Amino acid sequence: MRASTAISVGRVNLEVRQGIALWLHGLIVLASIVVGLGISVLLLVISGIDVSNVFEEFIVLTFFDSAGLADVLLEWAPLILVGLSAAVAFRVQFWNIGIEGQFVWGAIGTTVVMIYDIGPAWAQIYLMFLGGIIGGMAWIAVPAVLRLRLGVNEIISTLLLNYVAALFVLNQLFGAWQDPAAVYYKTAQFADHQRLPQIGWGQIHVGLFIALAAAALVWLVTERSRFGAYMKLVGSNPRMALASGIPVALTVLAAVMLSGALSGLGGYLVASGQEYALTIYVAIGYGFSGIVIAFLSRNNPAAVVVVSFLMAGLYVAGESIQVFYGLPEALIGLIQAIIVICVVGSDFFVRYRVRWMR
Amino acid sequence: MVDFIVNWIAFTPVFAVPLMLASIGLIINERAGVLNLGAEGIMLMGAFAGVVVYIESGGVLALGTLGAIAAGFAVSALFAFMVVTMRLNQVVAGIAIVFFASGLTGLIGNPWTERAVEGFTKVDMGPLSAVPVLGKILFSQDLMVYASVPLVYFVWRFLHRSIPGMKLRAVGENPQAADAAGVGIDLMRFGAVVVGGALVGLAGGYLALAASKIWVEDMTHGRGWIAVALVIFARWRPGRAVLGALLFGGIEALIPRIQAVGLPVPQYLLLMMPYLVTLAVLTYVGLVSRTGSGAPGALGLAYVREDRR
Amino acid sequence: MQASALQMTDIVKAFDGRVALDNAVFAAEWGEVHGLLGENGAGKTSLMNVLCGLYRPDAGRMAIDGTEHRIEGPGHARALGIGMVHQHFKLVQPFTVAENVMLANPQASWRKGIAAVSDGIARLSQELGFEIDPAARIDRISVAEQQRVEIIKVLLGGARLLILDEPTSVLTDDEAERLLQTIRVLARRGTCVILITHKLREVLAHADRVTVMRGGRTVATVAAAGTSATDLARMMVGDAPVDDTEPGRGGPVRLEIAGLTARREDGASTVRDLTLAVRSGQIYGLAGVGGNGQTELAEVLMGVRAPDQGRIALDGTDIAALHPKQRRALGVRNVPADRTTYGLAQELSVGDNYAATRLGSGTFGSAAWVSRRAVGKRTAAALEAFDILGARVDTSVRLLSGGNAQKLVLARELDGRPVAIVAHSPTHGLDVRACAAVHDHLRAAREAGAAVLLISEDLDEILNLSDVVGVINRGAIVGELARPVSRQKVGELMLGHA
Repeated sequence: MRASTAISVGRVNLEVRQGIALWLHGLIVLASIVVGLGISVLLLVISGIDVSNVFEEFIVLTFFDSAGLADVLLEWAPLILVGLSAAVAFRVQFWNIGIEGQFVWGAIGTTVVMIYDIGPAWAQIYLMFLGGIIGGMAWIAVPAVLRLRLGVNEIISTLLLNYVAALFVLNQLFGAWQDPAAVYYKTAQFADHQRLPQIGWGQIHVGLFIALAAAALVWLVTERSRFGAYMKLVGSNPRMALASGIPVALTVLAAVMLSGALSGLGGYLVASGQEYALTIYVAIGYGFSGIVIAFLSRNNPAAVVVVSFLMAGLYVAGESIQVFYGLPEALIGLIQAIIVICVVGSDFFVRYRVRWMR
Repeated sequence: MVDFIVNWIAFTPVFAVPLMLASIGLIINERAGVLNLGAEGIMLMGAFAGVVVYIESGGVLALGTLGAIAAGFAVSALFAFMVVTMRLNQVVAGIAIVFFASGLTGLIGNPWTERAVEGFTKVDMGPLSAVPVLGKILFSQDLMVYASVPLVYFVWRFLHRSIPGMKLRAVGENPQAADAAGVGIDLMRFGAVVVGGALVGLAGGYLALAASKIWVEDMTHGRGWIAVALVIFARWRPGRAVLGALLFGGIEALIPRIQAVGLPVPQYLLLMMPYLVTLAVLTYVGLVSRTGSGAPGALGLAYVREDRR
Repeated sequence: MQASALQMTDIVKAFDGRVALDNAVFAAEWGEVHGLLGENGAGKTSLMNVLCGLYRPDAGRMAIDGTEHRIEGPGHARALGIGMVHQHFKLVQPFTVAENVMLANPQASWRKGIAAVSDGIARLSQELGFEIDPAARIDRISVAEQQRVEIIKVLLGGARLLILDEPTSVLTDDEAERLLQTIRVLARRGTCVILITHKLREVLAHADRVTVMRGGRTVATVAAAGTSATDLARMMVGDAPVDDTEPGRGGPVRLEIAGLTARREDGASTVRDLTLAVRSGQIYGLAGVGGNGQTELAEVLMGVRAPDQGRIALDGTDIAALHPKQRRALGVRNVPADRTTYGLAQELSVGDNYAATRLGSGTFGSAAWVSRRAVGKRTAAALEAFDILGARVDTSVRLLSGGNAQKLVLARELDGRPVAIVAHSPTHGLDVRACAAVHDHLRAAREAGAAVLLISEDLDEILNLSDVVGVINRGAIVGELARPVSRQKVGELMLGHA
């Protein structure tokens, strides 16, 4: 007895595939990305960019140029972390849409060490690391507990807390933490010992290694550990997991806290490695990027590393297009959204076989 | 003090109506079993289209309103195509719609940004509007506020006292049963999504043309998400959604009032209120709903005709 | 001569390349009860779903009352007078009886519709000898009543061709008898009734003719009179396995339930002061009509539903408050009724599912890590031992047949000397061969000294396997019988007549 399903829409008949060959699956996803990129290029051309320049900007100046590549690698690190954050939460069916808020709180946790000059100078960069993790975890703890204890929908709660986090930063930047010397609203600059050391290529700093190490660790945990096996079971069928003797709530809580910690770590990387301050722009765009990366990676940590590299390329290319053509920042988000819509759409062809009826 | 309260109550409908229209629209979506997390994006498109059409038509309010409805309709049609026709994951599709709308309006919205519009104006009912207290609260609102009362009644009547409404609810509760009863699941869901989406678009248009009277990037500021939360609070019932919308409208109306009288409350903390109250309301719902949330049985699930053999 | 009610010729239907109907042929006449017989997966339900417009056939022709039709969908089928009562009822739970009937039979307006439909329900239920309150909510009435709503719904829609899919599987013997009498009444009035079933006894007693299907093909159509059960069985399966059992004596009490009370999500107590004891080396069969508290009892024993009060003791230790993990550590195992809910994670591999309950025990790696080699080796051994053919360790469970999936659950749950096993409808929906395998495994567990609590709505299964039979009615044990058990006595207890 096997479950079988079919749908008919007019003369089109859809059959649910019982399985799909890996190559076909890959081909369909690849085709959808190509379609998404095609639409995006079309969009750029409509916006007044020369087609040949698009190739130049997106491929040559981004990946085959030392300065461009350095920018990509710089952007790569936080994107790996937000991608992992989303992937870990999605694995236990916890829709963490609040990555941006946790990212902000990671940056706040980092900045607090600077503002209140906590601990000895040599230890501050490590305390900031901890502060970032704690900040991110604290901000996701509320939705996690609300969901586990009261069944409050985490999509809404995590998202609402993004706004609260952003408003909190504004409150601080226009108040207690404002740097009187700065032209726009931000905190004072971090001191040298509070900054992540650079490796001497562009602005790249050791944060990249932190992010890659985090990816390796998350891969080990999700693919090889008992906790990872629990995550898989809980994500696939929580009731079966409970009946199998798995501590379901604890597994979800641990995975979600890990997710918050990874986002917070991203905030730490940007505050201590790039901005050297808390600004209102610290987290812009990272929340959605994390979701996009996890989605395109099918929540696989190894794939997150690859996809976030490509996403970093999109960021860098998008930024230069912004500068040279004066196109708004929203462009990157729109391209991401279009690619996601196309890849979501590919799922349709992965799951169904479309046949025309006579 | 009395002035403060009267002004506050009089200003509440302008803030309540967008949330009300949006949550009523979402109730229509969700009663048919489609979880529409794209509400924020649909509202944003409605707001944008409303302002653009209003400005470009030289200030014709009816056209601006229609533009908002049409935009809501169009984005929802895209969403419906994804989740109803292609049966894609409703959560992912909804979130993608939000960012699609945010990106699109951000990219093309520049020429219309921060241009103040007159938009909806108060209806003057002559002597009625001049009645102390009540005149300001009941007889000095704009047309949409008055129109929304019969609208909600109509939606309630449609859903709970009509045959097509019953079919729609059956599709959301148990699509297998509805399918077997000959209800066209895809058509019903598609219809529910675009009609509900049109209302969400209207909510956005009203927000821009009546409440803020301006278009700025990402101006909905999470109101779509608050509407999604309101639907849960309302237990998918139109009447309760009105109640919830008034509560939230009251809170939103309070913020400018407090600022106007110059109370020394930090403005950014004040602006957190709607979000924190939404969270509190959801927590409250979680605490009291012991006998089920009242959610439609098939909410969020794609329907595929199924058999075991 | 009157035209045939129904003529289906060379119907072909494939799902994703797997053939469900392979040139199936079927014909039925007005005024007859026509049994459609076959193992699970033989294509009976698929064929009827084609007739009802739920499936679009890949090839084949259909004629209703002598006229050829291409059935476009369920609505079209209904307009042609075809009505089907599905095994899983197509009722909207929070709606009332009248609303459900109205959903299937569109009315002009809401208010007039409710009134007209309520009248129709009253009239029909009187004729058929039921009692149904049109204003009652579906989720508040019994399964037998829901089935009556389904039948009324279809008949009010003007069905002349009534298809009943396994209608008696959810009923007691007595209720089933009443239903079959009703069916005869309908046939006498000229309705063509198609009875899908795998129960030989029912078909021989109540059908005029029988069509047997196997593997998507029609084997034969024969008159019920003059055909023996043995002939039909041979047509159905070819080689029917024989059940021969000897009663188990039983050792000391291992699993003891005392004064157990539990409620459903909607707050209704469905398990009420239930007390029973299962001995070592014994199969205790808990018989009863579905919906009398079996589901909640099984969930309480699994540890996924908290009881209101009462004691569950394993070898004298109270386990009622323990997490499923601790219960498993003490040797309690579960074969849940719905594999896809509590038994297996559909999207994960066979290996992941097999190891799920014993991760961190040392068998599949250390406390912190999972050894993929250990999982692979042990799962492969289990697949071999339990004869799960065609599955590999990394196959997705979604792709397993029902029988294989259930054997996988058994392989996992019976591993490592269980002390007590709670098996709820362990053979539901399985074919004859898989059934026999499941029964053999349960008997083997009994021989190994486990206490087996078998909860089943299938009386044949209970009578075949059990050393002691308890009957549950309205959440309490209303009688216990030792082997040899009288079928009639159990039936009476189930209905509360004793």
